[in-house]
This record gives sequence, C-alpha cells and structure tokens, in this order.
Amino acid sequence: MYHIKTKDKTYRLAWIIAVPLMLCLLLSGCSGVKTLEIFKKEVEREKLNLSKPTPLELENLKWIIINSKNAEEVFKKLEESGIDPVLWGLTDKDFELLAKNFARIRNQLKITNDLLDKYKEYYEGDLEKKDEK
Amino acid sequence: MLGLRLFFIGIVATAIAGGGFYVVKLQKDNAILKANAIKLESAVAEQQELITQQKNDFKEILAANQKMNELVGVLKKDLEDLDKRFNKKNRDVGKLAIAKPDAIQRITNAGSANATRCIEIASGSPLTEEEKNATLKSQINSECPSIANPNYVPYQN
Repeated sequence: MYHIKTKDKTYRLAWIIAVPLMLCLLLSGCSGVKTLEIFKKEVEREKLNLSKPTPLELENLKWIIINSKNAEEVFKKLEESGIDPVLWGLTDKDFELLAKNFARIRNQLKITNDLLDKYKEYYEGDLEKKDEK
Repeated sequence: MLGLRLFFIGIVATAIAGGGFYVVKLQKDNAILKANAIKLESAVAEQQELITQQKNDFKEILAANQKMNELVGVLKKDLEDLDKRFNKKNRDVGKLAIAKPDAIQRITNAGSANATRCIEIASGSPLTEEEKNATLKSQINSECPSIANPNYVPYQN
C-alpha cells in the first residue's frame, strides 16, 4: 500500500517538473534573438561635369571726345582717315552712367563666376588640386 | 507498471534533451548578440566619422561665405572708386573735356581698355604675370584692382 502511494507521488512530481519544463522549451522556441541588419544604400550622385564657359575676349573700342570747339576738326580727321564722319554721342553724365553700368555688370559676372567655382569646389572637390593632377 | 516507468523515463530524457538544446540555443543567441554588439560599435564609429565630416563641411561653408562676402565688399569699393573718379572734389568731366579734349580722350580710352580687360577677367580669363606682379599704383588696372591685381595693396588716404 505504502509502495503504491510513493510511486504515485513520484509520477506526480515528474509531471510537475516535466510539464512546465516542456512548456518553457516550447514557448522559448518561438522567441529568439535575430541578427541585426544595418542597411546601407549609399549611391553617389553622378557629377555634372559641365565645362566652364570660355572666358570673354573683347575688342577694344576707341572713344572720341567731341565738343563745340573741336567738332569740325574731329569730323575732318575722320574723313581724312577714311571713316564715315558720323559719331554716336553721349553726354558726360550719360558716359558716367555707362561706365557705372559696365562696372556693375562686371561685378555681377565676377560674383556669379566665383559662386559657380565655389559650388563646384564644394560638391566636386578642390578644383586647384584637380588641376594639379 | 513497466509502461508507466518507461513513460516517466521518456519524459525525464526529453526534459534533459530539451535542456541541452536550450543551452545550445542560448549559446547561439549569445554569439548573435556579440556580433550585433560589434556591428553597433562600428555603426557608432561611422556616425562619429559622419559628424566629423559634417563639422568640416560647415567650416567649408562658412569659409566660402566669408570669401564671397569679401569679394562683394571689394567689388563695391571698386564701384565707389569709379564714382570718385568722376566726381572727386566737384570734378566736372564735361568741363574738362571741353578744356582738354585730347587729354580726356586719352584717359577715357585707357580707362575703357582697362574696363574691357576687367570684364574678361570677371568672365574667367586668367591673370597675366604682369597683372599678378603689379604692386604699384602705376602698374595696376585702376578700374578693378581687386580682381586684376591680387598683390596690390591700396595706399591709405
């Protein structure tokens, strides 16, 4: 009688240990540590590589000063040189404005050109170093 | 009785085997975690490299901005100097041209040639050695010394 009771207790104990253990194994099998994946998609943008515009090569023009006193002499000289005796005129004030307008255009051209160089240098590396290579 | 005993032995054996597998699984997880830690460390290093790169970029941007501002400043001064040439001390170029037409014509043509060269330089034309080495007022391009003569230091008035 005692022997049977001890066996029953042993079996019960076995179940008490085994069932939770199996349950734990079953549940922990579902979870797990996954390998960390770091995605890197670095695709460099193609360089524009437009060549810089050719610098200007301008023609020098000749200014002729004409006033009420020398007008006749100036036209005579023009005729003698085989040039049509006709001139496009500007007053002294307009000449000043023309000079200032040209200076402003020149400044703007310089700023735009330098700005372009700076952008190129920043996005495509040092231009001077590239030229050396 | 024997069946029950075998069943019990089976359960215990399964539990031991399960425990063994679990330990192996834990070891694998541990290895993965170690690999993850290494990856994270390298990711941190890359981020630090990126931050350094960004700092350098900001420095470059600031320097470029400063240079552009300096350029705008010197070009503005060139324009002011041109204005001074026409109007300095109530100078009237018109009256001078009536009095000395030949002299004014010579000065105007010289100034025009200089201004033409300034536009060429502004459009990207390289400086000549003469322009680069000009340090005296008599040697410079008076229309745009700031861009034509980098070595010229204007005198203080």
